[in-house]
Amino acid sequence: MADYDVAIIGAGVVGCAIAREFSRYHLRAILLEANSDLCDEASKGNTATLATGNDTPVGSLERKLVVRGHQRYLAEGPSLGLPIRMVGAMTVAFDEAEARVVSEEVRSSRAEGFASVELLNADGIYARVPHLAPGAVAAAWAPDEGIVDGFSTAYAYALDAVVNGVDYRDSAPVTAAHRRDGVWTLTTPGGAVSARLVINCAGLRADHVEALAGYRDLTVKPRRGQYIVYDKRARRLVDVILRPAPTPTTRGVYIAPSIFGNVLLGPTAEEVPDPDDRRVTPEGIAQLTAAARRMLPALLDEPVAAMYAGMRPATEKPEYRIIPRFADGWLTCAGIRSTGLSGALGIAEYVAGLVVPEVVKAARKEAIKPARVPSLADPNIARPWTDAARVAADPFYGEMVCHCERVSVGEIRDALSGPIPVHSLKALKRRTRVMMGRCQGFFCGARVESMLRTGKP
Amino acid sequence: MNPTVAIVGAGPAGLAAAAALTARGVRDIAVFDRDDTVGGLPRYCGHLGFGWEYSHRLEKGSAFIRRLIGETDLSRAALYPRTTVLEMAPGPVLRVVGPETGLREIRPKAVLVATGVRERPRAARLVPGARPERGVLTTGALQQMETRGIPMPGPRAVVIGSEHVAFSVLLTARHCGLKIVAMAEPGNRVLSLAVARPIARVVFGVPVFLNTEIEEIQGRATVEAIVLRTPEGLRRIPCDCVIFSGSFVPDAPLSEEAGLAIDPRTGGPVIDQFMRTSQPGVFAAGNLLRPVESSGVAACEGARAGACIAAFLAGHLDGTQAASVFGLGEGVRYLVPQRWAMDAVDLRDARPLRPSLRVSSDMEAARVTLATDGAVVWQGRRRRLLRERRIAINLDALPSGRPAAPRVDLVA
Repeated sequence: MADYDVAIIGAGVVGCAIAREFSRYHLRAILLEANSDLCDEASKGNTATLATGNDTPVGSLERKLVVRGHQRYLAEGPSLGLPIRMVGAMTVAFDEAEARVVSEEVRSSRAEGFASVELLNADGIYARVPHLAPGAVAAAWAPDEGIVDGFSTAYAYALDAVVNGVDYRDSAPVTAAHRRDGVWTLTTPGGAVSARLVINCAGLRADHVEALAGYRDLTVKPRRGQYIVYDKRARRLVDVILRPAPTPTTRGVYIAPSIFGNVLLGPTAEEVPDPDDRRVTPEGIAQLTAAARRMLPALLDEPVAAMYAGMRPATEKPEYRIIPRFADGWLTCAGIRSTGLSGALGIAEYVAGLVVPEVVKAARKEAIKPARVPSLADPNIARPWTDAARVAADPFYGEMVCHCERVSVGEIRDALSGPIPVHSLKALKRRTRVMMGRCQGFFCGARVESMLRTGKP
Repeated sequence: MNPTVAIVGAGPAGLAAAAALTARGVRDIAVFDRDDTVGGLPRYCGHLGFGWEYSHRLEKGSAFIRRLIGETDLSRAALYPRTTVLEMAPGPVLRVVGPETGLREIRPKAVLVATGVRERPRAARLVPGARPERGVLTTGALQQMETRGIPMPGPRAVVIGSEHVAFSVLLTARHCGLKIVAMAEPGNRVLSLAVARPIARVVFGVPVFLNTEIEEIQGRATVEAIVLRTPEGLRRIPCDCVIFSGSFVPDAPLSEEAGLAIDPRTGGPVIDQFMRTSQPGVFAAGNLLRPVESSGVAACEGARAGACIAAFLAGHLDGTQAASVFGLGEGVRYLVPQRWAMDAVDLRDARPLRPSLRVSSDMEAARVTLATDGAVVWQGRRRRLLRERRIAINLDALPSGRPAAPRVDLVA
């Protein structure tokens, strides 16, 4: 008898979404995360855009699932407390050759059902982005592209899953996997877990997990993407996602507003051998600033708040690698390269559809308990300190610890006492945005450390 | 709660302003500070070096703050730590939140913005390399950790920068078990006192690398090493933390979002000689005005602002600027005040104006001239004009009334 019907390895955004999907069924599921916090690998470093999928390969599974993921995010994100801003994406052409590329993108998008995509001329472009570098001749305008909070998205899915009965275990890297009598036994430092079906959502380490089960038909090729985060002051310059016209080899460096009120510049695209090599390099910085100089030169005068490098869990093939191996009680869900955040809910629905009822027989639950994460968006009117009644009732919401991102004592306390524990500074940062602003902890670093250690303000 | 004067920031400038206001009989003053104790940055500095220009005593940071609070009549000025001014709008209207105040809107007659400075962190300096979870910090964060009893990331530290504050780390390090293994400065000289380098080397055994940039920071969970690009080549120094010091910037988001005119040269609000910003009833003082003067100068400015606000409340001074903008000659990095107003106000009992004048790059010698309508009204010969050092200038030599086209030039 197995402990669980389903064990999901990897609490990135895809693993968390799949866990949430299975929480809707009468079955036993567990989500295992190798690190001390969820969303700690590929899912933590991206552009945090909600893509429509119009730039994914025509006819691909990726396109189908991103389209569905986008649709579901708009429908289900708000009830989870997740903020969304539909800012739109503009792919800009600065010469005739690029103009041909973007008008072809508009034509094919519309032909494929992305009816809102349109071609802009220079007037339309500069009306939307007055600070854009001069010389733009045409642009593809995709108004249904949005920006979201990538950290809170994974957290919201995991929280919803846990509230609805899925077990979650962190610091639980799977070090061995053995199958006997139709049951997998997964070894972790905290003890073994047995399950009838294993879903490998291990992202950057998907090939290692595959190898534990004897599968060697997949190799992860980590692709690093470096980013520069500009201070909130820069948001006056741009409030759409700006993309250069793509070339056959790259989609290029984006300039995107973040849901937290910053402006992101990135990513680079570099194949690196080590999935943990999240260095920011002089070459990367030079490539990013060159891209800004070409599209939005005024950005370079703005102060930088942060830099980071994300790692895309690409594989040797340019497609999603969702591989049912049900005869073995295994399902591979890998190669979710750049579109995991947008596609996760589509992927989760697709995976659950493969599994239930053919592999695991389970009825859908009738009642779902609500789960909601605090919105960290800026500008926002939903923070506790924007509500006089909440501050009066709980004065800790009135006392700021992090001044740049305006995080109160009460919000930190809430994060530290949530159902999914915070064990590390980085987890607390992702849950609340403390120390993520322009001062990077100059004002609040010591106090945040103190709260993390003592749990007291 | 409906204060007559709201002071935003209870560092040396804000506290000195409160003292000056209460000394002039102004009541109903609210001093807001978002930290959990008032005092601003000096309160985290347990070593000597604070307040000289204000009190002609050289005190520890914390002692200087106690002195300023002691000079304030607390029956007239209420201190609100843990309280944040979220927004400021013309009126002036402030939106304030704190455990004691709750979330509320206040409409004081005058506001003093004294939100101070912060150090530029690693990212803003575009320093490449790994980004360990801990061990990369600023001096300000380090000093707070020491004051709050937070264990240090490890024994070996490398300090970046060579302003006074970098050497302040040497003093702080002794208390908290840090060993400074090297200091690195991108420029060709130490920006603190010239003797600081030999003192660091001889007294503390710390090498100071000049003309040195950071190649990268190494480490995963924690810092393992820093690689410096020195004139002699790359040099890898194993360490547990990297402390970015100095390179101060005004913490001006509140002023920017309120729409105060900002001087791009300083990063702080534009003021006139009466510490008035571009918005009626809103004054500014302290290191918010520019990076950076000593705590004593900041306190002097605060005290002057207090006197100006008292004159404004008494109807002797307009709330707005009608002023000429200083023209700045080549080689002048910035001048505060940026504007010179025509008001003739008797502020003889107030602290004198202490203009902040800086050069763009070091000069061996120059004549500083102050002119109006093309005629020089004051000049002074200055030797060794250093980028980070304040250069004395006597703006009071300007004729009363509105000087047409006042300007400051440097003549080599």
